[in-house]
Amino acid sequence: MARREACESGRTPLSSPASYRGLRVSGRCLLLLACIPVFIYLMLPTLIIVPMALTKGQIIQFPPIWISVHAFADYFKDSQWIDSTIISFKVSILAVCIACVAGSSAAIALHGKTFFGKGAVVGIILTPMVIPLVVLGLGDYLFFTYVQLGERWLEIGLAYSVLVTPYVFITVQAALAGLNPLLARSARSLGAGSASVLYHVHWPTIRPGIAAGAIFAFAVCFDEVVIALFLQSPDATTLPVRMFTSIQYELTPKIAAVASLLLSLASLALLAQAFLPRQRLSPR
Amino acid sequence: MQWSAKRIARSPLWLLFPIGVIYGTLAVMPLALIVRFSFAGGLKQYRAVLASPLLARIAENTVVVSIITTVVAVLLGYLLAAALWRSGPRLRVLLFMLVLLPFWTGVLVKNFAWAALLQDNGVFNELWLVISPTHKALPLLHNRLAVIIGMVHYVLPYAVFPIYTVMLSIDQRLERAAKSLGASDFSVVSRVIVPLTLPGVYAAGLLVFIISTGFFITPVILGGPADMMIANLVDFYAHQLVDFNRAAALAVLIVVVVSVLVFIYQWCPKEGQYGKA
Amino acid sequence: MVMDIVIPGLDDSANREAGKRLAGRHLDVRGVWKAYSANQYVVRDVTFTLKPGELLTLLGPSGSGKTTSLMMVAGFELPDRGEIRVDGKNVAWQPPQRRNFGVVFQGYALFPHMSVLENVAFPLRMRRFSSSERRRKSLDMLEKVGLAEFRDRRPADLSGGQQQRVALARALVFEPDALLLDEPLGALDRNLREALQLEIKELQRRIGISILFVTHDQDEAMMMSDSIAVMNEGRIAQIGSPRDVYLHPRSPFVAGFLGETNLLRCTDCEFDGSSARLRFHNGTVGHAQAPQEGYRRQSPHALVSVRPERIRFLTTEETIENVIDGIIVDCTFLGNRSRYVVHALGQKLIVSSTDPTLSQHACTGDSVRLGWARDDAQVLSETDN
Repeated sequence: MARREACESGRTPLSSPASYRGLRVSGRCLLLLACIPVFIYLMLPTLIIVPMALTKGQIIQFPPIWISVHAFADYFKDSQWIDSTIISFKVSILAVCIACVAGSSAAIALHGKTFFGKGAVVGIILTPMVIPLVVLGLGDYLFFTYVQLGERWLEIGLAYSVLVTPYVFITVQAALAGLNPLLARSARSLGAGSASVLYHVHWPTIRPGIAAGAIFAFAVCFDEVVIALFLQSPDATTLPVRMFTSIQYELTPKIAAVASLLLSLASLALLAQAFLPRQRLSPR
Repeated sequence: MQWSAKRIARSPLWLLFPIGVIYGTLAVMPLALIVRFSFAGGLKQYRAVLASPLLARIAENTVVVSIITTVVAVLLGYLLAAALWRSGPRLRVLLFMLVLLPFWTGVLVKNFAWAALLQDNGVFNELWLVISPTHKALPLLHNRLAVIIGMVHYVLPYAVFPIYTVMLSIDQRLERAAKSLGASDFSVVSRVIVPLTLPGVYAAGLLVFIISTGFFITPVILGGPADMMIANLVDFYAHQLVDFNRAAALAVLIVVVVSVLVFIYQWCPKEGQYGKA
Repeated sequence: MVMDIVIPGLDDSANREAGKRLAGRHLDVRGVWKAYSANQYVVRDVTFTLKPGELLTLLGPSGSGKTTSLMMVAGFELPDRGEIRVDGKNVAWQPPQRRNFGVVFQGYALFPHMSVLENVAFPLRMRRFSSSERRRKSLDMLEKVGLAEFRDRRPADLSGGQQQRVALARALVFEPDALLLDEPLGALDRNLREALQLEIKELQRRIGISILFVTHDQDEAMMMSDSIAVMNEGRIAQIGSPRDVYLHPRSPFVAGFLGETNLLRCTDCEFDGSSARLRFHNGTVGHAQAPQEGYRRQSPHALVSVRPERIRFLTTEETIENVIDGIIVDCTFLGNRSRYVVHALGQKLIVSSTDPTLSQHACTGDSVRLGWARDDAQVLSETDN
């Protein structure tokens, strides 16, 4: 005991290691310091959007004339912009629903299977992620001139469903990675039919995966311009398309207001995904 | 293999049915239509596209801008990945959030913000005017620099993650081993860490390059008329010239080139290239 | 596998070359303390000396501070206080790259992106040797460990045994002051492990370097060491030759960690020279080795450690310094020996016997006479509680 106290009181070492420790820490500090400008570069656009939207003026300027919410009011009063917003919601929800069904059922179908060509099947499922949007947009335009559904927003939604199915597939596949494929077999051996296996074994496992994939898919749909540009019509102009065309014309506080709302949506999605429960139900 | 109806019903492969329908109608059919349109009149469309001086100029612009974007993004991404790798658990969560928020922010929102920052009465120019003797705004918007600034900003997270993944797979003992063998901090970085992270750098570079070549919105919003990229050319043929055959031919060419790049990317080792030694 | 680890015989010229042996220097660790968080000491007052050419093992369970001690010698951890001296010069505050120790890590930590030759040449490159000299010295060292023809391979293409030899070559090529081995054999299977233990021992004998070795495996420690420092809860519990710590443990921890033992409680204990006279619970008088001078403690209670293989079954007319009666309560045949549990002195004694006739006749419930020599019983100087 006495020794321990002696040690505590005498913590200063005989010859100081301070310089050495300082040197060691400084390598990391230097790295973080070098990163600060990069982080400013990353964050700067995100940070200026809301201040820009709160200006009293009629144009985007610096420094903004604070503080007014007239830009937000302009947006909510403008029926064209509100219609576009509604279209965007309709389109995104339709696409996300289709993607959730198609993507998660495909992930379950391939779970735990090994067969020749599985890699190719997965590759095909992921293909829409790497096809340039402009190619998809052109193809969808040509396709829907042959197959006319009458409702343009339906067409855009269907076109988006292919675009975002890979995201749901990936997240559900990741959620299923923790599930022992033998569990489905053992449930079957205990008398469960296909439907019960799906409901009791797969569904609880994939729920967080579907949620994560759906959030990301929604974010992608709500930001997509190129395909919507090809498929747009006067009564089906999505919010991104309206923003895109307005930005080319003029930078107005109204667009800044819409951008702020989109930004808050993105932050919500990011938070939702960060705090989504990631339980693993299968024993390791 | 016998694909009797009973067998399919018993195997969960029927779960592939929805994705089959969606992809069959909404991906395969449109792509098939593009191919059909592109071959209208034999190879005439391809010849016309390839002979166009517009294509040569735009393809060159696309490649140059994409290469610059890739190099800058990989360099900055390496720095960020190293900072993530070397920070403590709490700081790392914060830094991750800082990288992810721009990742989640839509491309339109980001491009709008860059336009607002770079325009003549934007933040940078207003600050410039304060110190500038000539009181003339710098032409920051609607040029190649603005496009690259916007593109690097968009692709930076895609550069960070492959590099970060490779860094995580490095055995921390290697660093200690190097030091015990007499390596200075600089030698540890230059002779051990950088060589070991090169696979991640290659993967990140290829990924960023693939993404960069497909940019459409950023060149329009941040670039000038001369900064058109290849995706804009497809749109130009389709919407301005209303020549869908030529647009389709160009689209097929793009898909071929991207497929080759994706194929290389698939073969590019992403982590643990050397195995666990 | 076995073919792989056979050490290639050295011809005469190589032996003469080996005449230029490395000896290593005098490594002195004195009163070293280390805490990771306030007052949570993982190393307490550790002191030991590694003499040139010696193989000293730090042996202890996980969390005993052995690896931390090694890492402080290597320079990856800084001691809170204490000194680490190499030939009298304190190196405790020098960064690892300024020290001159060859470290072999668990899993070897070979650089996967370099060839075998580049790995071995790395420390020479760091020391700015000319490229021709780098090549000569590394090839020389690879020759010594029998891997010259593998010089262009990547570590991933080598077997576990070959990787270890590369790691050793890399740690030896710059003529370090000592070799530090941090459980290098920890993750290997038993057969390979034993072969590699022999190989390290052989290499040490040939090259003559002093080695500080860390392990939690007492068999490994016994097999390889010139001396063993048994560590427990951050302290060195005992330090001595393998024979010494095995036969003359000072505490129940040391006695138990180095193998199975019987701890007998006794009431009276008188020291007389190097021997002790004691009285067990039931009044039987016994004789045992006294602890070394300086470690003796006068106490009404004492513990005596007797190894199971040192207890013998006696016939009725045999006699020896310690004799007790007991009843066999369990016997297990283990192939090369049999293990008996005998109820005696009010406790259970473990007896290990290699006598084949005995294992055929002795059975549960038999009354037996047990005995052991005075030299095989050791009075412990500490009781641990």
